[in-house]
Amino acid sequence: MTARAETVQQKKVNTGRRTDLTGYLFVLPFLIAYGLFLVWPVILGLRMSFFDWSLVGTGTTDFLGLANFRELFGDPDFWASLWHTILFTLLSTPPLVLIALGLALLANRAVPARWFFRLAFFAPYVLPVSTVALIWVWLYQPGFGLINSYLVSLGLPEVDWLAGENVAMLSVVIATVWWTIGFNFVLYLAGLQEIPEELYEAAALDGAGAYQQTRFITIPLLSRTTFLIVVLQILASLFVFDQIYIMNTSGGLNYTVTRPIIQYVYEQGFTQYRVGFAAAMSYVFFVLILVFNIVQFVLARRRRREA
Amino acid sequence: MTVTEARTPGEIQEKTAGTGRRRLGNWLAFGVLLVAAIIWLIPLAWAIDTALKTEADTTAIPVTWIPASGFTFESFVEVLGAGNLLRWYFNSALTSSAITVIVVVLASLAAFGLSRVPFRGRTIVFWVILAGLMVPPQVLIVPLFTEMNFFRLVDTYPGIILPQIASPLAVFIFKQFFDGLPHELEDAARVDGASRLRIYWQIWMPLSRPVIAAVAIFTFVLSWNNFILPFIMVTNTEMMTIPVGLATVQSSYGVRYADIMASAVLGGLPLIIVFLFFQRQIVQGIANTGLKS
Amino acid sequence: MDEGYVEAGGKGVRRVSRRRFLYGAATALGGMAIASCSGVPFGGSKQKVHFWNLFGGGDGARLADMESDFVKSHPEIDLKATTLTWGAPYYTKVSMATVGGRPPDVAVMHLTRLPAYAPAGLLEPLDPDVLSEYDIGPDRFLPEIWEAGKYNGEIYAIPLDTHPQVMYYNTDICKEAGLLDSDGNLKPLQGRDELIDAFQKAKEITKEQGIAFAPADAVVPWRLFYSYYGQLGGEVLSPDASEVVLDQEKAEEALSFLVELTVDKQFTPSNQDYAAAVAQFQSGNAGFHWNGEWEVTTFLDAKMPFSMAEFPDVFGNKRVQADRHTFVIPKGIAKDKKAFDAALQFVGSMLKSSLIWAEGGHIPAYRSVLESSKYKNLKPQSNYAGVADKVVLDPKAWFSGSGSDMEVQVSVPMQQAMAGGLDTKEAVKQIRAAMQELVDTPKPF
Repeated sequence: MTARAETVQQKKVNTGRRTDLTGYLFVLPFLIAYGLFLVWPVILGLRMSFFDWSLVGTGTTDFLGLANFRELFGDPDFWASLWHTILFTLLSTPPLVLIALGLALLANRAVPARWFFRLAFFAPYVLPVSTVALIWVWLYQPGFGLINSYLVSLGLPEVDWLAGENVAMLSVVIATVWWTIGFNFVLYLAGLQEIPEELYEAAALDGAGAYQQTRFITIPLLSRTTFLIVVLQILASLFVFDQIYIMNTSGGLNYTVTRPIIQYVYEQGFTQYRVGFAAAMSYVFFVLILVFNIVQFVLARRRRREA
Repeated sequence: MTVTEARTPGEIQEKTAGTGRRRLGNWLAFGVLLVAAIIWLIPLAWAIDTALKTEADTTAIPVTWIPASGFTFESFVEVLGAGNLLRWYFNSALTSSAITVIVVVLASLAAFGLSRVPFRGRTIVFWVILAGLMVPPQVLIVPLFTEMNFFRLVDTYPGIILPQIASPLAVFIFKQFFDGLPHELEDAARVDGASRLRIYWQIWMPLSRPVIAAVAIFTFVLSWNNFILPFIMVTNTEMMTIPVGLATVQSSYGVRYADIMASAVLGGLPLIIVFLFFQRQIVQGIANTGLKS
Repeated sequence: MDEGYVEAGGKGVRRVSRRRFLYGAATALGGMAIASCSGVPFGGSKQKVHFWNLFGGGDGARLADMESDFVKSHPEIDLKATTLTWGAPYYTKVSMATVGGRPPDVAVMHLTRLPAYAPAGLLEPLDPDVLSEYDIGPDRFLPEIWEAGKYNGEIYAIPLDTHPQVMYYNTDICKEAGLLDSDGNLKPLQGRDELIDAFQKAKEITKEQGIAFAPADAVVPWRLFYSYYGQLGGEVLSPDASEVVLDQEKAEEALSFLVELTVDKQFTPSNQDYAAAVAQFQSGNAGFHWNGEWEVTTFLDAKMPFSMAEFPDVFGNKRVQADRHTFVIPKGIAKDKKAFDAALQFVGSMLKSSLIWAEGGHIPAYRSVLESSKYKNLKPQSNYAGVADKVVLDPKAWFSGSGSDMEVQVSVPMQQAMAGGLDTKEAVKQIRAAMQELVDTPKPF
C-alpha cells in the first residue's frame, strides 16, 4: 500500500459515523421507494389473505384464519390455472432456448448482413404485448387468417388456432416465441463471442469438424449463458398473464384451456371482488416462485464452485 | 475474463471466411437464417399490409398481399382521428420518461452507496435489495391496487409511475459496474476534501455513461411495454398507456381488422423507432447484463 | 471505445443525431406537459359527461347516432363515450373505477348485474323527484320494468330496453320450403316436431346448416338452455340465491333438445362460434338463426332476405331468455352537482332517442317510443315486441348476469354435451355442481 492510501484509510476510519450517515443517505431514497412499493405490498398481501377483504372495501376486519388458503387448495380452478401456467412454461421454454441457440450459432458464423438478422429477430421484442396479441389473433383467424389460408393453399385442413381445445395453448406459445426470442438470441450471441477463436483453431488443427467443435467447445462454454437464459425464461413464463389475457378477451382464445394463474388471481380479486382470496392465491404462488428461486440459486452456486 | 477482453460484448464481430467446407457451411447457415428471418418478419409485415387495406379487402378470400382495391391510409387516419391514440402516446411517453429518470437516479445513488461507502449494515442492505429480484410485480397486483387506492392514486400518473421506480435489478447492474471501477480517482478527490455526493455526481456518473444508457433504455422499454400494472391502476381511457389502451378500448363499430392492425402498428411504432436509434445500446446492455450475471 | 462516441455531458449517446433526437423528444414532451397542465388544448371548460358502454358492432353504430342526437341538442356538454369489451372486462373496469374514486359519470349496465352493484354500494340511488325533472319516472315505463331497476326500494337502474333471443329466418329459403304464410311471414312453429321439420327442410335446401347458432360461444349455450328450461317452467336458484333448485328432469329435457339439434340431426356444427354463426346465416348457408335481436343491423346492412320471429315455443309456455340494458350512475358522481345533472340529461336524451335503438332490434322500454306508431311500423323489429313480459332473466344473484362467470361456467358442460362428448345426465350434474360452487362462495360484500 502506498503512503497516500494509508492516509486515506485512516481518514475513513476516523469519520466512521459520518460515513455511516452518508451511506444511509445514499441508499435511503431507493429504500423508501423499495419499502413503499415492494416490501409493503408483500406484507399487505399477506395480511389481506387472512381476512375477508373485498374490493368494495368491506370485510377488512373479518378474520378468516386459514379459510382462504383452505378454499384455494380445494379449488379446481386454482389448480387448473396453475397447471396452465406450468404447461405454458414447459411448452415455451425449450423452443425459446433451443431455437435461440440455433439461430445464434448460425448467426455467429461468417455470414453477411448480420445486422439484418439481429433486427429481424429482436424487433418483435420491443413491441408492446397488445400489438403482439392483436397481430397474432389476426393471423390465427379462420378463413381469412394468413396462417389458415397458407394451410389451405397447401391442401391441408384449417386449424382452429384460437378456439380449439388442443391447439389454443400452442397458439399462445408460438406467438410468445416469436415475440421474445430476440432477447435470448442476443444473449447467446454475446456468449458465443466470448469464446476465443484460438480454441476453435486448436481443435481444427486436431482434426475436429464443425459439429464436434460445436458439441465439445461451444455448448459447454455456453453453459453459463444457457443456465441464465433457462432461469430467466422459466421465471418470465411463470408470470405469464398479458398475452393470454388479451387474446382471451379480444381474440376469442379458448379460455378454459389457457387461463394462467395470474389471470385467475386477477379475476377472483377484481372481477369477483374477492381481494382477500386473490391475495392468498398470490401468496401461495409467490412461495412456489421463491422455492424455485432458491433452488436455482443453490444450483448456480454449486456450478460456480465446480467451474 | 479471458485474453479476448478487448471485444465489446454484443458487438457483431466479423469473422474470416475460412476454408471451402466451412464456406459452404457458412452459405447454408446464411440460407437457413434468411428463411428464419423472413418468417420472423412476416407477422409484422402482414399487420402493416392489412392496415393499408380497405376494410372489405381485409376479409376477402382468397387471401392476398396486394388488395383488390389497392392500398390506402384510411385506417391510419381513422385510428389517429379517433382521438385516443395520441393521448396514449403522451401518457406512455410521460410515464416511461419519468420512471426512467427516477430509476436511474435512485438506483445509481443506492449502488454508489453500497459500492463506495463503507457503512455499517451495507451487506445486509444489499441482500435485502437483491431479495427484491425474486418478487415479481404480477404477484403484487392485488395488494398494490389496495395500497394505491388507499393513497387515492388510482387512475393518476403517480399511480402508474411510483410502483415502477424501485428496481433492484438496476441497483445490481450499477453496483457491479461501480465495483469494477478503480479507486484511485475517488481517493484523490477525497483527499482534496470532496464530499461523496460530489464524487458521485462529478466523477462516477460521467464515467458510467454506457451503464446509464443501458439501464435507461432498458427501463424505458420495459416500462413502456408494461401491461399489467397500468392495466390494474388505470380505468379512465384518457389515462391509459398504449398497451392498455390498445387492449381495452374497442371500436364502437365492431371488428374492423384494418383499424385494429393500424392501431397495433401505431402502438408499436414508437419503440421500434427507439430501437432503431438505440440498437447498439440495447443489445450491449443485454449482453453486459447477461455476462455479469 | 466505440467509434463516434461523444465525450460530453448528458446521457451516453453514440452520435450527435441521437442526442438531438432525445432533446427533440424531451422538448415535445415538455410542450405537451405544459399544454395539458393549462388544460387548454386538451379540452375547454365545457361540462363533460363520461359515458361508458359495452356496445360494439351494429349496436355501437346505433349508439353513435343517439349520442350525436344528444350532442346536437346539448352543445354546452362535452360527451366522452368509451366502449369497452363486452362482459367481464367491462364490468371489472366499472367496479374498479368506482372503487378507485374515478368512475364514469354514467354507464350502461345489464339489469341482471344489479345484484352485484347496488348492494355493494357502487351505484348512486336516484331520487324519483329529481328524475322526474328529466322526464324519467314510473309513468314513463311499464310497471314491472320500472320496478326491476330498484333494490331495497331505491331506484338504481333506469331501463333502456329489453333484448330477448329471437329466431331469424331467411325468407327465400323458407319460401322454398313452404314455411311462409300468405303475408310472407313465417307460419308459427309449435313444438319440437314442427321445428325440427322446418330445420330439416332448410338444411336440404342450403346443403349446409338447417339453423345456425353458436354452441362454441362462451355464453350462447346458457341463453338457449335457459330459454327452453324456462319453457318447461324450471328455476335454477331460490329467490334469495342461497339454494340451487335445478330440476334434473327438466334440465335434461331442455339440454337434450339442443343436443339433438347438434349431435343427432347436425343442423349446426358444435364447434361453431358466434361470428361464424352470424356469417353463415348472413351468407344464406343456414335457413334459421338463433341469436339476440341485436344482430338485425348486421343482416339489414348485408341486404339479405330475412325476417324475425319470436323464439320458438317448444315446450309450451313461450318463455325466452333476455336481459335488459339500463343506465346507472356510479357512486360518487352525485357529489358533483353539475356532472350529475349532465349525466341525467344524457340519460333523458338517450331514452327519447331510443327509436334509433329500437331500429337496432331492441324492444324499447320508454313508453313514448314503445307505444308509438313509428315503432309499431318498424318491421321486422317490432315482430317480437310481445315477448317483453314473457322473458326469463338470469337468476338474481351477485355472481349472475350477462357475461358473468356463472354463465361461462355452466356453458362448459353444455358445450361438451352438444359436441357429443358428454352425456346429458352427467352434463346437468356438472351444471348443478358449478352453480353450487358459486352459491357456496361467500358473498364479497
